Amino acid sequence: MIEFQHVSKQYSADATALRDVSFTVNKGELVFLAGPSGAGKSTLLKMIAAMERPSSGKVIVNGQDIGKLKAAGVPFLRRNLGLIFQEQRLLADRSILANVMMPLMVTGQPRAQAEQRARAALDKVGLGERANAAPLALSGGEQQRVSIARAIVNRPQIILADEPTANLDRASADRVLDALRAFHSVGVTCLISTHDDHVLAGAARVIHLKQGQLQDAAQAEVAA
Amino acid sequence: MISWFRQHGFALGAALVHLRKAPGSFLFNILVVAIALALPFMGLTLLDNVRPLSEQMSVDPEISLFMKQDVAREQSAALATPLRELMKDAKIIFVPREKALDQLKGKSGLSDVLATLGENPLPDSYIIKLDAFRSAAAGLDVDTLAGQMRTLPGVDTVQIDSAWVKRLAALIGVLKLALLLLAATLGTVVVAVVFNTIRLQVLTQREEILVSKLIGATDTFIHRPFYYTGALLGLCAGGAALGAVALALQPLNKAIAEFARLYASEFQLAPLEPLPMAGLLAVSAALGLAGAVLSVQRHLARLN
Repeated sequence: MIEFQHVSKQYSADATALRDVSFTVNKGELVFLAGPSGAGKSTLLKMIAAMERPSSGKVIVNGQDIGKLKAAGVPFLRRNLGLIFQEQRLLADRSILANVMMPLMVTGQPRAQAEQRARAALDKVGLGERANAAPLALSGGEQQRVSIARAIVNRPQIILADEPTANLDRASADRVLDALRAFHSVGVTCLISTHDDHVLAGAARVIHLKQGQLQDAAQAEVAA
Repeated sequence: MISWFRQHGFALGAALVHLRKAPGSFLFNILVVAIALALPFMGLTLLDNVRPLSEQMSVDPEISLFMKQDVAREQSAALATPLRELMKDAKIIFVPREKALDQLKGKSGLSDVLATLGENPLPDSYIIKLDAFRSAAAGLDVDTLAGQMRTLPGVDTVQIDSAWVKRLAALIGVLKLALLLLAATLGTVVVAVVFNTIRLQVLTQREEILVSKLIGATDTFIHRPFYYTGALLGLCAGGAALGAVALALQPLNKAIAEFARLYASEFQLAPLEPLPMAGLLAVSAALGLAGAVLSVQRHLARLN
């Protein structure tokens, strides 16, 4: 489903984000990307979403080579991905329901159907009763759960979460992780980056990155 | 097809939502664009009213030649031969003094006054239509010909009748060109105003655009609401400009009515017909759309 083949990413002569990274994530897996800040976790996730292109090597997502993907094809790749960010990126000028409806409106769904599915997604993350609230009226943990609802409303095959529990208290972080694990349990492939050891407790598979390089070749190849 | 309409409906709705969030700014932009559009629209309305006046009149040179009162009919009629020699392609019409009097009675409504004169005061005359002389350069030839005609025996007066019509037609031509240049200049102003309006909207909606890209929105989906905003701005401004011109015609017509009365005329400026009005609205919307397209292409490319 996701395959990195000797991928390097260099922004400039003295700024290398990834060095010769190779690993595979199979369909339905829950994989954690661990490492300190600046290890290259975000760059790696951005490459899967075609927000960055590899300087060398190949990134293959759902059989598509990201390096060769044309600009016009990027939106259609992203419609099969659910993206979750550390800073949620909710639009403050509209309700959380409208935020969650956005991915459906983008694909041309009828408004009534989009609203129905967005409400169902908010129910799944426990925020169904606050559908008309403004994002800024919610706590950080609740906002992150809204962003999860927005990520899964289009029924993506892959969820990419970049430090989803950073800036959250322990209880909120656990609720966010529980929500992500719930979607993984129904067959969604999840790739979650974190630098929090608490999040990694009980993880079946962890890929460690440090200074842009894989630290644990065995974990990287476990499913290859 | 339904999806296509739905996407356009969504884009139009999104554009209206953003306009509703800043109605003051939108109205101010409409005002600025409407002022820019009102000047060429007014000029076009004036030309549209004045043009028929000149078109109803022939701009071909026309010469009236009047014989002396005491010249005999035979001598007057015999002048046709030397006139034909002077102007081979011209249409030469002999108007006997009796026919001229009848025409004067018929046209002027002065038959009672003319009857009191006792005898016909009009001379025999010729009307010479010179189809071959259309250019401004040919105007010199008409003057030369008129000079030659004055030397013919029995000729009293030679008058070039169409000179002022030619001048009016030439003046309208100049005004048309000036209006075209004015329209081009102010059209550029409209595009620039819309360009800047959309630039500010792109900056205001930067986060929404970036999030939309991340959730799989195509460039077309993101661009479309801005295109609608530009076209709506142009359309509303065009409507406002046409309204302003219609309002301005009322005081203008009052002043014109007094002036025209002096010449026994009922000339009034009329607003444009519905079809040209619709055309101007379409042009306004197209200018707004052009400004939006240019702005979106330039500013959204920077967000990629």
